[in-house]
Amino acid sequence: MNRLIVVAALAMIVPAFSAVPSFAQDDAALKKDLTAVIALHGLPCGQVVAVKVQAENDYAASCQDGNRYHVYMNAAGRVVVEK
Amino acid sequence: MTGTAGSIVVALLLLLTAGCARAKPDPPAPEPKTVATRPAAPQAPAKPAAPATPTTTPAAGSARTAKSPAPKVARGGAPPVARTPAAAPPLDLKALTQQLRETKAIGIFTKIALKNQVDDLLDAFRKHYQGNAKLATTDLRRSFDLLMMKVLTLLQDEDQMLASAIVSSREAIWGVLADPKKFAILVA
Repeated sequence: MNRLIVVAALAMIVPAFSAVPSFAQDDAALKKDLTAVIALHGLPCGQVVAVKVQAENDYAASCQDGNRYHVYMNAAGRVVVEK
Repeated sequence: MTGTAGSIVVALLLLLTAGCARAKPDPPAPEPKTVATRPAAPQAPAKPAAPATPTTTPAAGSARTAKSPAPKVARGGAPPVARTPAAAPPLDLKALTQQLRETKAIGIFTKIALKNQVDDLLDAFRKHYQGNAKLATTDLRRSFDLLMMKVLTLLQDEDQMLASAIVSSREAIWGVLADPKKFAILVA
């Protein structure tokens, strides 16, 4: 009985832990992407440290230096960065 | 005996003075150096004429011309022969574009932002050729260089192959942009 509980617990815990790295990787990739976008627009940021997804292709990025930007794609397909 | 001793002393003095005399002429060695640099100068004007013809585009890259002529002159006449093959790698813009689309070194949003900037530059060229030019060719070249730098900065750490491919195609790409006929074909 105890074995069953342990196996069940492991079955729940292992996938949860294995899923964390991929989420972290995605998050890191998104931060890096937004950092590059902000830099491409010539705006000060340093590095994006936090991202809030507001909608599809619409993000609120917080920078290392305290700046915050609204990064989104407009209807014309242009990536816009607004403070 | 004193005569032989005296002659030995005289001989030693002569040798020493000869040694001193040799020690001094060594500094004159710089003289040959200056002489060597002088011939280089006359050669230079003759040789730059050759590189100037292969690089017909410099008219556009005036910002660069200030830098590039110096190395060309310094390298002498032989390198231009070696440069011609290196400067003309087969330019496959479609392949480069495809590789840029597929590379994982640049995030999707960044790719879109880059494409926006490429489109802006192409628009600037279009206006330039239509006569509505806000930007001179030198300004266009500067924008082109900046954009290239941005792309290379994004690529160089994680996709060095593509970065070097773009670097080697850089002048060829500029050649297409700076030539109204080639540009018209590219945009069409």
